[in-house]
Amino acid sequence: MEPPAIRIQDLTRVYSARKGFLFNEVVRTEALRGVNLEVRRGEIFGLLGPNGAGKTTLTKILATLLLPTSGRAEVLGLDVAKEAYRIRPRIGLVLGGERGLYNRVSGRENLRYFADLYGIELAGRDRRIDDMLQLVGLSDAADRRVEEYSRGMKQKLHLARGLLHDPEILFLDEPTIGLDPKSARETRKFVRSLVAGGVTIFLTSHYMFEAEELCQRIAVLTRGRIVATDTVAALRGLVGGDRTIELEGHDFEDAELDRLRRLPGVSRLLTEEFGPLERITLRVRGLEVDLPRVRSSLPGRPQIEIRERRTSLEDIYLDLVEEEAL
Amino acid sequence: MANASGTRLRALSASTRLAFLSFLADPQWVIPSTIAPVVFGFAAFELYRYAGPVLVLEAVLGAAMMSMWGQTLYGSGWATGQDRELGTLEPTLTTPTPYLWVVSGRVIVNAITGLVGGVLVYLVVAAAYRRPLPVEQPLTFAVLFIFVLLTLASVGVVLAAVYVYTRYAGFIQNFGEFAFYIGTGCMFPVILLPFWTNPIALLLPPTWALDALRYATLPGYVGFSWGLYWDIAGAVATTLIYIGIAGTIFRRVEQHVLESGNLGDY
Repeated sequence: MEPPAIRIQDLTRVYSARKGFLFNEVVRTEALRGVNLEVRRGEIFGLLGPNGAGKTTLTKILATLLLPTSGRAEVLGLDVAKEAYRIRPRIGLVLGGERGLYNRVSGRENLRYFADLYGIELAGRDRRIDDMLQLVGLSDAADRRVEEYSRGMKQKLHLARGLLHDPEILFLDEPTIGLDPKSARETRKFVRSLVAGGVTIFLTSHYMFEAEELCQRIAVLTRGRIVATDTVAALRGLVGGDRTIELEGHDFEDAELDRLRRLPGVSRLLTEEFGPLERITLRVRGLEVDLPRVRSSLPGRPQIEIRERRTSLEDIYLDLVEEEAL
Repeated sequence: MANASGTRLRALSASTRLAFLSFLADPQWVIPSTIAPVVFGFAAFELYRYAGPVLVLEAVLGAAMMSMWGQTLYGSGWATGQDRELGTLEPTLTTPTPYLWVVSGRVIVNAITGLVGGVLVYLVVAAAYRRPLPVEQPLTFAVLFIFVLLTLASVGVVLAAVYVYTRYAGFIQNFGEFAFYIGTGCMFPVILLPFWTNPIALLLPPTWALDALRYATLPGYVGFSWGLYWDIAGAVATTLIYIGIAGTIFRRVEQHVLESGNLGDY
């Protein structure tokens, strides 16, 4: 049987740094604490998590740029710690951002250099470079120095480089960060088209709508641990329902909150303060509770603002991350 | 995909090409490697023009080495530091090519530009002096001149490994720069330095090669008592040791940076 694209078992990663005047103090930071995960071939898998959750650490371990402290990670059935040189030709890594490119030479020269480092057949190399430039829409700027590129163009060049050697898995770390909406949309469309071609995508992102739009399955990583892995629809169930009702008002009393909490189908009640304004968020299962029923449970507040929406990935994410923080 | 040795040669050639293009595109390298040798050449000429051709030749050697050592030795280390600064070290290390081959390509370009710098010094002084500069053994000199570059490059590769290892390699480089320059005899013969410095200097391949070069160049030169041929043997041996060290160090350094996770630091 063909192994999964990625399989991770009890993976940990601890960073040790020496500090102090004589570097005699060792500070240990646990970036990953027993991560277990499996990514299927041909899917877009999203890894979400707050800053410092361990996303980049996990991506770098899978991309063979970092060794795990303990546990095991396999990419295409190969051990990242022992078989890095066999994994590297079969994966692509797009770290994105302004760095990671040779700025003083052209985009084409950058691709040519990496094509040679990947050992792409000489006979087809230049055509492959042209194809990639065309695919990401950089054909016209191919011979301009990279230092003249906009951030979006650099991001496209990163993508072209990541795909140059036709990888089976592409690791994308924040692929649309800093892009204007049009470029970001083009990038997302492009990522979807890659999966149609059989590439497995491992995506990390801070943009929830992006992950929701692109990913078939999502894992939420916080404080170095995976707190949930599933489809967005299944994760909605995990955080208490696919409907979300929001109420905004002032000085809600405990008795009012209790009445809301006891409404049928309400699985979770969250409160947030925005200056003088208080927002109550209800996660709701089923259709038994509607807006008039919520309003009627607060008879003393005829002017209260109430609205309903579908539980978003952002709601799920925040619930899961906050739960873990408690 | 090509086989492993084919891939490595491709990588070597790609790295050489990219280093050359980057060199041409960056005034901070073009200027010192073309203008500095001319300045060094004129300075050497002005200092020794009335001291006779042998001393002028000695000055030419010092100035040429001055031009070559920075370009060849430190250019190689610095290029790896620049990989850290540009953030290109990580994408390069995710390719199947061992990083040593990438560094080797840069060393080739740096050695060639260093050689051009050295030749420029000679041409400038020869043109200004308007008299032949009597090289003792011209053929040996030519071979040794290139060999000196190789010895500098071998130390440069080791230095490049230190840059992969730590972002603080620049500190080590700047700290040791002057000591290396004087200690290996780039500017004047090591034999003129206090005796206790000689054993340390002999740990570095350029010390042997530069002494041999002076034997082959300067009539009546008195360097290490063992003479030209033992100098050459010592240079070959220490260079081979450094190349061996570089290969081993690169493998260990790669392992270390994957463990420490500091590749992205700059």
